[in-house]
Amino acid sequence: MATFFDQVSEMGLKQATITKADEIVERLTAGMNISDIRGAFRGDEPRRPNPRLRPHSDGFWMHIRPSFYHTEVTHIYPTFRLGWLSTFMFVWETITGIILMIFYTPSPTVAYSNMWNILSNVPLGQLFRNMHRLGAEVMVLAVALHMLRTYITGSYKKPRQFTWATGVILLTLTALLSFSGYLLPWDQLAYWALTVFLSGAEAAPAPEQFNANVLLVLQGAPSLGAAGLLRWYLFHVLLLPMLLAIFFFVHYYKVVLYGISLPPGREEIGEDTAKRVPRDERTYFIPEVFTNEMMWTALVTLFLTAGALWLWDAPLETIADANVKPLHVVAPWYLSWSQGWLKLADKTIVVGFIPVLLIAFIFYPYIEVRKSRRYADRRPELTLAFLFIAFMLISNWMGSPEYRVQSSPELEISGEIMPEEGPSVLKGVPYDELEPGTYFPGQVVPGRPHLTRALALFEETVERRACTSDGSQPNLDPCEVLGVDSWGNNFTRNALPDPYIEFRIEQAQENMVKFTLFFESIHPETGDIFIQTETHDYRHEDAFYEEECRFFNKNC
Amino acid sequence: MQVKIVIGTIAFMLTMVILGYAALVEPARLEHFSEAAVARQIETGAEIYKNNCASCHGVEAAAQQCFSPSGEQIACQGLPLKNQRLVCGDRPERLDDMGWVGSKRDFVYVTVAAGRGRIMPTWSTDFGGALRNDQVENVTLYILNFEGEEFCSEPPAPNYEWPDTGNANADYEEFTAEWAAGDPDRGAELYNVNYGCAGCHGGDDSDASWAGTGPWLGAIQDNAPLRNPDLTTEAYIYESILWPSRFLVTGYTDGVMPQDFPNRMGLDPDVTPQDMQDIIAFLMSR
Repeated sequence: MATFFDQVSEMGLKQATITKADEIVERLTAGMNISDIRGAFRGDEPRRPNPRLRPHSDGFWMHIRPSFYHTEVTHIYPTFRLGWLSTFMFVWETITGIILMIFYTPSPTVAYSNMWNILSNVPLGQLFRNMHRLGAEVMVLAVALHMLRTYITGSYKKPRQFTWATGVILLTLTALLSFSGYLLPWDQLAYWALTVFLSGAEAAPAPEQFNANVLLVLQGAPSLGAAGLLRWYLFHVLLLPMLLAIFFFVHYYKVVLYGISLPPGREEIGEDTAKRVPRDERTYFIPEVFTNEMMWTALVTLFLTAGALWLWDAPLETIADANVKPLHVVAPWYLSWSQGWLKLADKTIVVGFIPVLLIAFIFYPYIEVRKSRRYADRRPELTLAFLFIAFMLISNWMGSPEYRVQSSPELEISGEIMPEEGPSVLKGVPYDELEPGTYFPGQVVPGRPHLTRALALFEETVERRACTSDGSQPNLDPCEVLGVDSWGNNFTRNALPDPYIEFRIEQAQENMVKFTLFFESIHPETGDIFIQTETHDYRHEDAFYEEECRFFNKNC
Repeated sequence: MQVKIVIGTIAFMLTMVILGYAALVEPARLEHFSEAAVARQIETGAEIYKNNCASCHGVEAAAQQCFSPSGEQIACQGLPLKNQRLVCGDRPERLDDMGWVGSKRDFVYVTVAAGRGRIMPTWSTDFGGALRNDQVENVTLYILNFEGEEFCSEPPAPNYEWPDTGNANADYEEFTAEWAAGDPDRGAELYNVNYGCAGCHGGDDSDASWAGTGPWLGAIQDNAPLRNPDLTTEAYIYESILWPSRFLVTGYTDGVMPQDFPNRMGLDPDVTPQDMQDIIAFLMSR
């Protein structure tokens, strides 16, 4: 074969360089030269033999992908691109996760300060952390919706039962991945969420000794500490991603093997024509599907980047402290249903029910074997699906802060507008509006709009959680006597009767104020002071809460 | 397909613009977050101070209002921390007084972590205390944050200058001429609560069998002349409070009695020296 120098002497430098470049591109793409690529994206007809099929037969990456799809499955419906989105999110999480890994040590003594280092010392550190955490939420959502879509279009039916089974496992792994990442910042949110989760392991319907050993494996010590953090870190970065990758490839291999199922109405009942695609129904991967996927990659990247920068901020509470239990421990939203279930049944039953449910999901397509995928023929299945969705939504709501076990009403008011953690209604007021003095819920403070707004929200909170026994506070609902020392109003069965509430701001240091919420309640029957409580918090000038409040996921 | 290429290209370019914008504002954001990190540590430190330190150093860190866990006012065992001599400037006086060559931050951190003297306990878990090191750091930042422009630009309050010529009788004469006669009831309060003398020297319920850290003062009128016949009882008490090392009761060690009463009782030169009169009046009335 002629060397490059021979070619130069033969056809001149320019032509020889072009020929060489063409050759290199053809090798890299396993079959397409420069003009083939340009032709493909210009929309030209391919030459014969079709070079656009060769990357699929000769190249490693493309051999995973089919060379063409049935045109019916390349539109938004029926797939909604959810399987693709789930895969994309896994790649996204891997990339952002590896970047975060560089700045993280899984040890309780440094993990939390690592978080602040990422936020305050690593260029674009906050953005990457937000991208990773926002990505985790989107991934859970994408995988769950993907499963829902598969169910609704009946795509789990023969021959795709095994694909469905691996999908259920992938959903479980996704939730576990997201949850295992929860612990790593080693803040209060992380620590208590995992503590509650682990207490579930203790309550599993199995011999006590077995549960104790499972717990020991999960936290590495009798209590959650250094060993537990290291284990959950390794679960998060090693074990779970590895399992997920294995099941993903099995899952995707089956998807390619059986093809993506057509919309239910497009084929005869009992037939599966996904792999028998007539020539005029083919949409080739190169260039159409590839272009489409690139466009979605760009759009989702844009959405996640902008979202992580402006819309959504990963929470970071104060450092984990086994001695300070927060007022309420709330599971992440995608596990909130489990907290809801705890209100319906005993913990042991709930913990035992979850694996039963998963097994039921896995074996469902082997049990429900009716042939038709058409919606009209599947009314019972679709009804079941929507009942299940309704059940999960209600369970989620029951596990949400709205439905949690209440402490005393004054602590609930304080916890709502001045929680121990993070920015809040009162802490989100800019520092220069926090003049020392005594303020009242609903007070209008001229020239200080943020403080006025916070006090208005304060009043709303009080109105929901307090009542008046003699009508002397007309903005409150009348008290309904529910029992000994127990009153309700139109919103809650846990209301504070006839309250007197103050919000005091004192100068604690030159650049820091101290907040005091003072609650006094007169007993409607005896007339004695029934409750007299103060809660405190501190607000430093530079603590940044007001800017954190601009994100949509912050409670200000 | 062409439309998709255009949409994808625009989305990609927008992402790059957003990343470019994020990179441009990043240095300012990092600085902002560094301040926020410290500010939140100070807030946490204030909480830790309130729960662990205020019962000895006072709720406002001025060693003035100290409360027991049940809410009764008790003696402030600690020094005032909101103190120009401790927090103002890079090298406050306190470091020189203690012969400390390190930084101010290290002095406070080490004092909190490892304790100091006989009364200040160790706080770091490294030394058997109750606080993790990050909490020690938080409380250190809180204390150093008393260094405010306003506070540090106030002229340092001069302490009362106690008459001290070496002749305690004459010194006490000079002192007592300047101040109102002592009030034994107030003196009892100061002795038992504010200054906490009773802890070492015995309170009202103690008797001659007292075996505390310091000598029993219940019969000081009888004992003082036996110990140092040159001084009047009042002058003896005066000298023993202010300069305890000058005369030691047999069997007691030098340095146990705190040496900082000239400062503590002279903190406000117009007010606090009266405490001396009241305590002497109380001891003389027992």
